Amino acid sequence: MHTRRQFMLQGGKLVAMGVAGAAAGPTVFTRGAGAADKTLKILQWSHFVPSYDKWFDPFAKEWGAKRGIEVTVDHVGFADVVPRATAEVAAQSGHDIHMFIGLASAFEEHVLDLKDVVGTLEKKYGKQVELAHRSTYNPFTKKQFAVSDMWVPDPGNYHKKIWTDIGQPNGPATYEDLVKAAPEIKKKYPNMQIPIGIGLSQDIDSNMAVRNMLWCHGGSIQDKDGNVVLNSPETLAALEYAKRLYSVGMTQAVLSWNAASNNQAFNAQETSYILNSISAYRTAQDNNLPVLEHYFFVPALKGPTGLMLASEHVMSGYVVWKFSKSQESAKEFLVALIDASRESMLASKLYNFPSFYGAASEPAQPMSKKYESGAAWIAKQCNNDPFGSKPVDKLALLAKALPWSTNLGHPGFANPAEGEIFDTYVITDMFAKAATGALSPKDAMTEASNRTKEIFNKWRKKGMVPGGPKDR
Amino acid sequence: MTTAEATLAAPSGNTAETLSRRDRRLGKLLLAPALAYIFLLVALPFLLALFLSLTNSSAGSLDFSFVGLQNFKNVVTNAVFLRALRNTFIFTFVSQLLVMVLGNILARALLKSFRGKLLVRFLILLPWAAPISLATLGWLWIFDSTFSVINWLLKVAGWLGPGQWYYWLGDPTLGMVAIITVHVWRLLPFSTVILLAGLTSIPAEVHEAADIDGAGPLAKAFQITLPMMLPILTVAILFGVVFTFTDMNVVYLLTRGGPYNSTHVLASLAYQEGVLGGDVGRGASIAIFLLPLLVVLAVVMLRVSRRAEVV
Repeated sequence: MHTRRQFMLQGGKLVAMGVAGAAAGPTVFTRGAGAADKTLKILQWSHFVPSYDKWFDPFAKEWGAKRGIEVTVDHVGFADVVPRATAEVAAQSGHDIHMFIGLASAFEEHVLDLKDVVGTLEKKYGKQVELAHRSTYNPFTKKQFAVSDMWVPDPGNYHKKIWTDIGQPNGPATYEDLVKAAPEIKKKYPNMQIPIGIGLSQDIDSNMAVRNMLWCHGGSIQDKDGNVVLNSPETLAALEYAKRLYSVGMTQAVLSWNAASNNQAFNAQETSYILNSISAYRTAQDNNLPVLEHYFFVPALKGPTGLMLASEHVMSGYVVWKFSKSQESAKEFLVALIDASRESMLASKLYNFPSFYGAASEPAQPMSKKYESGAAWIAKQCNNDPFGSKPVDKLALLAKALPWSTNLGHPGFANPAEGEIFDTYVITDMFAKAATGALSPKDAMTEASNRTKEIFNKWRKKGMVPGGPKDR
Repeated sequence: MTTAEATLAAPSGNTAETLSRRDRRLGKLLLAPALAYIFLLVALPFLLALFLSLTNSSAGSLDFSFVGLQNFKNVVTNAVFLRALRNTFIFTFVSQLLVMVLGNILARALLKSFRGKLLVRFLILLPWAAPISLATLGWLWIFDSTFSVINWLLKVAGWLGPGQWYYWLGDPTLGMVAIITVHVWRLLPFSTVILLAGLTSIPAEVHEAADIDGAGPLAKAFQITLPMMLPILTVAILFGVVFTFTDMNVVYLLTRGGPYNSTHVLASLAYQEGVLGGDVGRGASIAIFLLPLLVVLAVVMLRVSRRAEVV
């Protein structure tokens, strides 16, 4: 094994000699000695609800000021989180804390094991929610590579007037409801461009939407032990379903959507149903859009198997780089951030849900009651939205989102292979090809399954992903 | 020359030699920053990419093993890669053809005197000066699948009936049309300026002599203008081809390679696989796949440049 750093150092000579591989040896990384944690640099996404950043930045700086630490917070767009991490790992310098909004597992080798941080938090607040645990811990390498402070539910957003007009005032409850409703919506609203707005494009929201469809039909990329099981009758059923839905209720527009497109289409009343967090709704509120009075939510839809699952919309994963010179401060900051879970949820206008429910509990609760107390506080906010929902309990269903929310990698743990499949759109492309007829559902499944196995095998060789013997 | 004369001439010969040596040293000194820049920011990353393409390097790790040509073997059997390879050629040649034809028309128009010529020149140069990310965002709205300005105009004009719509970025063919359109819009000013420079460098006397000899417009175009423009035209084409072969901005900002990876070019696919997907070895192998072709193009480019110097 060799390292890129070594190659850079010895590069010219090695290339010239053509013996680069043989000449390089193992890496030795040493931390800068004597750095007394006077600074802390945090890389944070630009939150989809801007009020959150207005809270987070002063919160971090004030936390540092009390300890004599100069805290710097840099924000990047969500699409730049991973490229930026790649660059910092390659340079072995940059921020101390890096926030991922999806999977940080590919960077496991270069981050601290944060078992002590999670241990501290569990002692204070009890267990974290299961999907946060499954997104930040690798049971194969037994490393707690990240800490999650929040996750975001991903409900269905529906246009109540339109669905009332076709006789379903409470919106869809099953995937089959969408197929049945689409032609009726078309009939009643012939000018509406996309009756059902589920993205099938190379973007983050589509990535989640197609996983929901896959899981609710009983399929998945991997099983709980990390074997690739995409090639299955259940996946085929999900693809056949997508093809039916596309033919009756969608257009090519959904193949080109970016992360903002479904919000824009819904807010312009050009579609009647989308899968999204409440950020689109908050935008409609902020701009007092005409759609607002018709904007309602439903939980994840049920598939033919009776399964009702949705991917988390965002799962925070804070890592502390091994090259950080402020590691202890970084860990302390993460604990402080989770201590402030209530403020975080309110600053994000109920977009963020705490990963440690106990951190939102009433003060002085016994440990055994903390989770329950935190859940009750969360429910109270959702049942009586302090940010002007009409009716006030419009977001009540979010308080009950945990049972139908799951992690990327379901039914197993998140891992680097799942991350690469997510970031290279293997599953969205499979659905898009099957839905549009670019490939038959079976061929689309075979193509995606082959690529999936290729990716899993690559990560297995690196010793970071389990499974293999039961690959299909 | 006598011995005495030779002895007298010697100091002046030495002085010339010393001056020449100093000139050479100064030349090297002045070239050094450019050479350092090319070595550090072009050659070194390029060699690194070449090297990484032979490894299983991934984004989250500094460790790797040599895998030989395995990455190349894997990508050449991949349908998405083959599609991206085809798109790269279509993207490059169609856009260059359009740039040359339109650039020529614009350059000839700008040779004439007319009112508002300065404003027209400014407008033509504007796309070259605008940051591509900002400009593409504007184009993103123009081609947006739901809110496309083109579609709404066509609808108002009655061209599109009920239920008819162009999904510019949601259809593989229209997606390529959109990508090529934006790229042509972006490269046109550069090409126009180059061609304008070429046209103005042809001495007026040559055309006058041709007029006296009774040459018609076609004969003048093919026997005077084109041959005299050829070196500069070739440089413009080769520059454009190399630039387009290696560009990913427009594709990435407009379609991100979608729908279903059907509009990727090699550069954008390399970014998706290598940086976003974290498979650096695979990404590097895709990125440098066209290296042999680009080397040939670069050699041709250098030869043509030399020819242009003579002219």
